[in-house]
Parts: sequence; C-alpha cells; structure tokens
Amino acid sequence: MEQALQKICGKRVTTDPFECAPYAKDVAYIPGFFVHLLTNPVPKAVVQPISVEEISSLIKWAKQGKIPVTVRGGGSTAYFNSVPMRSGLVIDTNRLQGFSKLELSQGSNRKMVWVKAGMTWKDLDDGLRQQGCAVCSSPSSAPSATIGGWVSMGGLGIGSVPYGPVHDQIMAIRGVTATGEIVELSRPGKDLTKIQGSEELGLQFDDLMGTEGTRGIITEIKLLVRDVPEKEEHLLAVFNSETDTGSMMSWLGGENLTSLYNVHFSSPEFIMTLQEAGYAHEIPLGKFSLEIDLEGKRDEVDVAVAHIRKHVKVLGGTLLPDGVGAEEWADRFKSLRLEQTLPSLQAAEITLPVSNFAAFYEGLSKLAQKTNTLCVTYAHLVSPEMALVMVLYPSDELNTIRYIADLSFISQIYKLGQSFGGKPYVIGLWNTPYLGKVYDRGERERRRQRKQALDPQALLNPGKGYNPPSIILNSYVFGFGMIMIGLLRPLVLKILKGGKGR
Amino acid sequence: MKTIEELREQIAKTSYICGSCGSCRSVCPVYREIGWESAAPRGKIALAKEVFLKKKEEKATDQYAQRLQECTLCGKCAEICAAGIKTRELWLNLREDLRARGMEHQNLTQMARQIKTTHNISTFSNENRLDWVDDLDEVEVEVSKAGSEVAYFVGCVSSFYPMSVGISQSIVSLLDRANINYTVLGSEEWCCGFPLIASGNTQQVTELAKHNVEKVRALGVKTLITGCASCYHTWTHEYPTILRENLGFEVLHATQYLAGLIRKRQLVPGNLDETVTYHDPCDLGRNSGIYDEPRELLQAMEGVNFVEMPHRREMADCCGGGGNLAAVDKDLSQAIAVKRVREAVTTGATILTSACQQCVQTLQMAARQEKLPLEVLDVTELLWRSLEE
Repeated sequence: MEQALQKICGKRVTTDPFECAPYAKDVAYIPGFFVHLLTNPVPKAVVQPISVEEISSLIKWAKQGKIPVTVRGGGSTAYFNSVPMRSGLVIDTNRLQGFSKLELSQGSNRKMVWVKAGMTWKDLDDGLRQQGCAVCSSPSSAPSATIGGWVSMGGLGIGSVPYGPVHDQIMAIRGVTATGEIVELSRPGKDLTKIQGSEELGLQFDDLMGTEGTRGIITEIKLLVRDVPEKEEHLLAVFNSETDTGSMMSWLGGENLTSLYNVHFSSPEFIMTLQEAGYAHEIPLGKFSLEIDLEGKRDEVDVAVAHIRKHVKVLGGTLLPDGVGAEEWADRFKSLRLEQTLPSLQAAEITLPVSNFAAFYEGLSKLAQKTNTLCVTYAHLVSPEMALVMVLYPSDELNTIRYIADLSFISQIYKLGQSFGGKPYVIGLWNTPYLGKVYDRGERERRRQRKQALDPQALLNPGKGYNPPSIILNSYVFGFGMIMIGLLRPLVLKILKGGKGR
Repeated sequence: MKTIEELREQIAKTSYICGSCGSCRSVCPVYREIGWESAAPRGKIALAKEVFLKKKEEKATDQYAQRLQECTLCGKCAEICAAGIKTRELWLNLREDLRARGMEHQNLTQMARQIKTTHNISTFSNENRLDWVDDLDEVEVEVSKAGSEVAYFVGCVSSFYPMSVGISQSIVSLLDRANINYTVLGSEEWCCGFPLIASGNTQQVTELAKHNVEKVRALGVKTLITGCASCYHTWTHEYPTILRENLGFEVLHATQYLAGLIRKRQLVPGNLDETVTYHDPCDLGRNSGIYDEPRELLQAMEGVNFVEMPHRREMADCCGGGGNLAAVDKDLSQAIAVKRVREAVTTGATILTSACQQCVQTLQMAARQEKLPLEVLDVTELLWRSLEE
C-alpha cells in the first residue's frame, strides 16, 4: 500500500500507526469503546497531495482496491465529519496552499480569487488584507478551518448576515469526483464558462458544497472577496434578560443595516466562566451580552452606530465603553478559553430562527435547572432570520460513565431546539440519528439518489450524511437509548456528586 | 523546584484544557514542515494527555520524545491558542519530564555536559570569551572595570562563533562612540543557561544564574545589557524566578539601551541607502514583549527604507534556530529558516536584520544556502555600519 501511494505522492505518505493515530480524532472526545463499536477510525494510510492530479490518481487507485477515502482539512469539527468510519485512506489537504491573483468577474466587476482547499480561512484573510481585500465571511474557527472544510460543512459564521453562507460566495469550484475525474464547475446561471465533461459526469455545482466530502473532493474554489472596509466599529451591549437580548437580535436582523457584519451573543454563564479563567472582566456579571460588529463605509457605520445606540436604550440595555467591543472582536477566535474553567465540555450546535431565540433560551434555562446542568451558551446571527447557537456544558472525559450519561443531554437540547424550529447544524457521523430532523423525507431521498449516482461504491467518506451506518445510530434505537440514558443521568450525577464545574 | 509528581500533575492539568481545535497548526513552523498531525502542537498535547492525564505510560515512546523535542519554543501557538494555553511553559515541562525519563536527545545531553565543563556552549575554553576583541583596533574593552555604569553580557554565540562576533564588536563600538562607561565580564561570563532551560534542565541553570548574577552585582553597575534575545529573556524572566529575588540592577536588551541613547542624542545614527526589513526574534518579541526599539533604531538611520514582513511582531514567524531544534534536527531548523528568508526577500529588502545572535546566524546560513540576494545582519551591526560609512 505504502509503495503504491508513494508512486503518487512521494514521501508525503505514511502508514506508521503513530502518525495515523491522530487522524482517528477530531475536536470532540467520544469514549473509545463507543467509537470502536461503531467505526474503525484509524486510517491505514494518510497522504498529503499537493495537486489535483495527485488526488485524482489517489481516488483512481482507491477505487480499484475498493478502499474508503476520507478527506480531512483542519479536523476542527466535532461529529467525526472527517474521521474515517471504515479505516482506509485519509487525504489530508493541508499541503494544498495558496491563492491566485485577484480577478474581476465579468459584468459585476466583483473581486474574486482562486484559493486552494488546504488554506485556513485566517491565512487567506491575512493574505488578502496585504492586498487591500478581505474574505466576505469566515468560520468562527478561521485559524484552523480550511477553505475546503468549511465549504464542505454548513458554511455559516462571522459575516454571514450580509454575505450569506459561504456557498453563496463561490463562483466556481475545482475538484475530483468519486471516479477520479478532475472537474471544474461554475455557479449555474452566472457568466462563467462551464467546462466540458462535467455534465456527462452528472456532477452538479452544489454536489461539492455542504456534503462533507461524500460526493467528491474540493481542491480549489473561486471565491468572491471584498475590499477592506473603510471603517469598523465593535459595540458591546448588555441586557438584563434573554427577552430583551432576543428582541435586539431580531431587530438587528430585520433593520437592514447595510454595515451590520456580525452579532455575537454570550450568555451570563459563558461570561462568568470566562471571568473565572481571568478574561472578560469588563462585562458585568449576570448580564446577557451582544457584540455588534459593523463594517463598511464610514458614514454608513456612523449612522448604524447611532441607530443601534438608541435601540439598545429602548430595550433597557447598556452599551459598554468603547474598546470593550473591540477587545471581544480581537478575541473572536478564542471562545475555548472557557475550557480553562471547564476542561471537558460537551456541546450541541443548532441553527434556530432568531425570533425564537429568547423562547429557546428560556426553555434551555429551565432544562438546565431541572437537570442540574450548567449550560454555557453563545450564538452568532448568521442571517437576518437565523442564529447559529452553541450550547456547551461540563462533563468529564476521565469518567466514562459520567461522560456517556452526559451525551444524552445533547439529544435533549436538539429536542428543545426542534420545538422552536431549530435543527442540528452539521451531520457527520454522530448526528446521523437526527437526519430526519435536518432534512424532510423528499430532501433525504434526493440526497441519497445523488450519492448513489455519484459514488455507487460509497467510497467517499462512507457512513456520513445519508443513512445511519449502524442500527445503534438508527433514529428510533438511538433516540430510545438516549432517553434511557437521560433518565439515568440524574442518578449518575448524584452518585458522582455533580462532577467538576456543576 | 517542583517535584516530578507536581510537574506531571501540572502537565496533566494543562493538557486537559486543550480542545484540539487546531488553531495552532497553521502557525507552527515545525508542523508546516513536517505536515503530520503528530507534529502539530495539538498533536503533541494529545500525546501528553494520553501519557499524563490518562496515565498510558506506554505512549511515551521514542517517537513521542522526538516530536516533543522538534519545537523551536517560538511561542506562536500560545499567541493563537483558542483555549489560552501557555504552551511554551507546557513544552518546557514536557522536556523536563523527558529528561527525568532518560529520553532526552543525546545531543542535548552532550550540550549540557559541554556547558558544565566549559561554562559556554562551544568547545572553546571560557578563557577565550574575549577573542573577538582582538580584531578591534580603536576600541578598548575593559574586563570587570570598577565604577562602570553598564555591564555588557555578550552571550556565547557572539563570543565564540566567527559568523557572529560582528555583533559584539558593533555593540562595544557603539557604546564607545556614545562615551558609555561600560565593562564586560570576560571569562567570568558563563552561559546564561538558556539552552539548558530549553532542554528542560532547569536544575543545572541555577548554578549558572547564581554565578552570573553574583559577578554582575559585584561590579556595582546600574544596568546590564545584552545583545542576545535569549540571554535577555533568561535574565529578565528566568533568573528572578529561579533565584526567587530581584536582581538589583536593570536588565535591558542592547536595542532598548541604544534607542535610549539615540533619544537623548547621546548617539546619532548615520546614513545608509538601503531597503531593510526586520525579523522579530521570538525570545525578544513574543516571549518578552519588545517590538518597538529595534524598529526605532532602524528608522533612526537616515536613508534607510524600512519595510515590514507580512509576519511580524506578535505573529512573526520563527527563524528555526530556537528551542535547541538545530541540535535535534538540523535540516528541519534550516528548512524553517529558508521560509523566513524567502519571506524577507518578497518585501524587496536587500538587508534582513534581527536583534538576536542566534536568529542572525540561522538566517545567514539559510540565505547563503538559497543563494538569495539578502544580507543578514544584527540591528546593532547595521547601526554601526551607518556610523562607519
């Protein structure tokens, strides 16, 4: 195997178990026995291609031997999205680096660049800023998430309010199909020329976006970028209740402020946890905070600031002194500092209509109280109508029984979110039991058909995104299991006296 | 001094904080060269988690030890860490534990023996510490001169390595030009101990710290200056902790001291018609917080067109020469340096400066290897050149 791969990628191949082991993990900890019950996550080999041609050869080689292929970028997701389900080959895209010269789109004169899949969003933004440009939006994990990774996921993050999901900013995409063909696909209906051959292969523009590397592999995208804004303002408003905060979020979404770039919510528990770790001391305890980021033309930003100031007052909120918001913005990629206080967290991430945010939060607070769970919540506005909400709560990966008991709380959060129109953000492996909550029956069927048409041998990232790959992950079996564990959880916590952080 | 149990407990606690987000990956110079997850800071912490938190001793293999020692201690991972982990402290603790396990790289063990024997990092006798003075025609360097205001701690690299003696020669020439009453310790200057600290060998540093501090105190100087970023970091951050007392005199990096002289017009820089960029040494910049003074010196020279590199100040890339990496893997160290000199060339600069003898040496070798049209100098060397010309 190693020799065959070396013929394609030279020294950028490893089959060493020591080197392969880290590719069997992502951000979330899942107890080993549970992982091994459902998956065989350690790859047989990891390769680091440097070109689309190498990836094509790798896929053709894997297809011949029916070897599963999992693509990995930053490995910064939490649902085994880029961890192998059936061992096989991991294609690590991190050596696909760099971006092209800026070019202008025909007609609209918007600036674009071709950027390779392995670059992180932060590196791209830093590079663009040296040329007076910037990415339109970026994931909240921009220092680690790669271009290909975020495009393969939901694509929502900082800057999504004005620019939409990242998928809306992609004008063309280059990649490799499940048969190893190299393709370039243009956004349908735009002025870019479609490359011959793509239609015959049946691959459509959106097949490579948001599908977690299950239908093809992204190697490069043509991305719209923006000029560095004339002015930035970062306000930090605090409110007394979730209702006022939710109202402010809805108002911000609905007000059509042209310079509104990002809105970040932090719960009082989130702030308290950060303060325990020595951060965010400027924010008063017990308050709900909203960081409101404005970027754009000077006069637009100034008008928006004045407008926001008034509305914060109307809702009984307070704007903290200048500089506090800027500091929060500077630390926007450092939310994990709360792990200094709560080192072993579990999390549930959902998209939720912003109009229901306050009600969801109220429900969450009641659930937290009832189950004696400390919920630490933050959220981003990702469109005028939607928020991406992250709920974290302490667990203890050193205590397997406790950790498994705590896993049940994720399904309780999802259930609560669903009752307010929310759904899990990405699928990966661990959210396959919730596929029915994310997509309706018709969409699930359409997705399955696309997968079947493009990758009939299910070699690309098998087990993810379409059907639960094991009876244990069947929605009914899993749901029942989680209910049972959830019933036992209070007892487990009582025996363990709540554990750390409660 | 921590017991090994306390040390291991601290490592376990710190590694538990890591959320494996991977923000550290793309800024890590070692990961960028090696490419495998095991070489990334989060990969190393994941290994530490297994060994110290989950008590899987069998995971402390030779590959584990090799990865832990493949680090420049540049601290850039700490700068970007989403969890706010003080990673540099963690790497040092892990190296201390490696020593306790007898898994230290043999070159580092050899280096520790060398320092014990000669009190410097070279094979030369410490009596040769001032050989670089012989080439100075117009400046007289006096050893342990009573009544001096300033003591100059030269550092091992610019005392013994021919490539770097230009730094010490420039510094004393500048002090002389500004009529500063200074002195040096000569053979009573012992290695500051930084290479030992970087090996996790803090025990051996205590003796060096005691000796050096005692000798400087005996001079009665108000200020100690050094041109070496690592010596500076050791004197200001490590000695007070190791000795648990204030040193009783001010410690400044040479660039800080010289910038003060220029502000007071005690030293007037000359002209140089050059495009110059500056590489922030990790131990002076990120790890000690000094960014402005070296730039102040460069901008004080008339005619100098100062240009910045994309990676600068807090986010400056490492030269590859830190953390004893060259002793563990010379090629890796050199590969990192090559990236840095290439970045310098993209700015249009013909001179790359730094404020650290180790950085200058490492970058000089890389520029030569790549045959780049780039001269690498210490800021103090360029400043002296401006006066000579």
